Amino acid sequence: MNLLELARKNIAGSAFRSWTVGLCALLVAALTLATSLILSGAEDSLRLAAERLGADIVVVPEGTEAKVESALLMGTTTRVWMDEETLDAVRAVPGVQAVSPQLYLSTLVDAACCAVSDMFLVVYDPQTDFTIEPWLKETIGEGLKLGQVVGGHYVFVPEGEQNIQLYAYLLTLRANLEPTGTSLDSSMFLTMETARDMARISESMALEPLVIPEGKISTILLQVAPGFDLDEVALEIMHQVPGVTPIVSTNLFQAYRQQMTSLRTSTTVSMVTTLTLSLATLALVFSLATNERKRELGMLRAMGATREFVFGSLLVESGILALAGAATGIVLTVMITSLFHNLIVNTLNIPFLLPSLQGLLGPVAGGIGLALLCITLAAMVPAYRISSMEPAMAMRE
Amino acid sequence: MKAIGGLLIILALAVGIVPALTSCESRGKAIALPNGKSIPMKCHWTGRAELVAAVPLLAVGAIMMPTRRRETLQALSVLGILIGAMVILLPTTLIGVCANPDMLCNMVMKPVLTFTGMLIILVGAAGFFLARRAESQ
Repeated sequence: MNLLELARKNIAGSAFRSWTVGLCALLVAALTLATSLILSGAEDSLRLAAERLGADIVVVPEGTEAKVESALLMGTTTRVWMDEETLDAVRAVPGVQAVSPQLYLSTLVDAACCAVSDMFLVVYDPQTDFTIEPWLKETIGEGLKLGQVVGGHYVFVPEGEQNIQLYAYLLTLRANLEPTGTSLDSSMFLTMETARDMARISESMALEPLVIPEGKISTILLQVAPGFDLDEVALEIMHQVPGVTPIVSTNLFQAYRQQMTSLRTSTTVSMVTTLTLSLATLALVFSLATNERKRELGMLRAMGATREFVFGSLLVESGILALAGAATGIVLTVMITSLFHNLIVNTLNIPFLLPSLQGLLGPVAGGIGLALLCITLAAMVPAYRISSMEPAMAMRE
Repeated sequence: MKAIGGLLIILALAVGIVPALTSCESRGKAIALPNGKSIPMKCHWTGRAELVAAVPLLAVGAIMMPTRRRETLQALSVLGILIGAMVILLPTTLIGVCANPDMLCNMVMKPVLTFTGMLIILVGAAGFFLARRAESQ
């Protein structure tokens, strides 16, 4: 009988012990993987959302920073307005290379004239835009025409339809952007011309008209000229342009970054607690198991098995259980985080992007490694103690 | 096989009950038509169709519990697996749920039904192999 065969028989022979050890491994691996997926996914999401905006500074109406950030990250539909003249005032600030206005709109809630309910719409000016327009020219070779839109990653034309209907206006989806894990993935981007045409049609055709206030914009995206410091330009805007707040791209989504810090702290605490409890449980289980099996293992030694063989068989047994438990935990975690992705995002109020298959390898290896380490550590001391005992002593006890 | 039958009954109840609690209609949402009337959303019909899957699954579980014949148990397990596949296909492919990812049916109903469907397939497969082993003993 070899080591593996002996370990397999021991596992089958003690269902309670095997289930307990496997469950601990499952918990350790699942928690490690879930923590790593959510935290690294959230960091990726915030980075990609800031990159998607493509601006060095975002200028928003004073006091609406949180609203705009929520709209961009969580798709919370918002209507914030500032005067169009602000654009010229911001453009005149030294160090400002380019400015482009955006309008934030939304679709109606549960109305037949809108194919998608409560969707966040970003309206941009193709003449000045430096975020979507260059990407469009690179991808489809031209900008958007009247009635055409670009969708976030999850925006699609309803089954059996040719267009997406919003405010009873038929829109043609030209392209989809790469995923960011944020609500920008389910938002729509359209030009000022299309938005104004949609507003005109909606007055007679939609359940409620789309209202775009004259001479108003929601935010200003800004690029800083080379050689200028972002913070200094932002400070200058604050001094020269009243009623607005400039947010430097690196400071974007601060509220969410703070939320992530507290999430990181709480997950670390729960990780440490789970690890400690699992280690304690495993140490107890292995200690009880080896005591229970003293006679059996002593017999094995008396029949010629070496100390190394007995020690090895106990470690192989714990290793098999750790691997089986960790693998189950990892499959469950991957399934749950991908199936319940939207629910987790809404519950934690933090967007996160699931990694690619390649990106998953590191966290999976981490989860399995930690589970294996925990269980091997817990099994090592009792295994060493019992394998070092004299066969006669072990059998007598 | 009593445990397998019992598990299938629990899962069948979940398949029948979850859509009733998590469809958009359960939150009073419906599509408003220009004539003032309202019609149920897509997820409502998925919920109805899931009931059609839940009832035979409940029967499969109930029949499985007292049954001892290998062939019957295996046939019931295969039926369970097929119903599990239907439970997954209804909200994902055959009918679907509402398009907005932030709606309750998309956030809860679809993933819960998909997960439950996977569990039904797993339990069905376990039932199939356990039935085979019981015969060989």
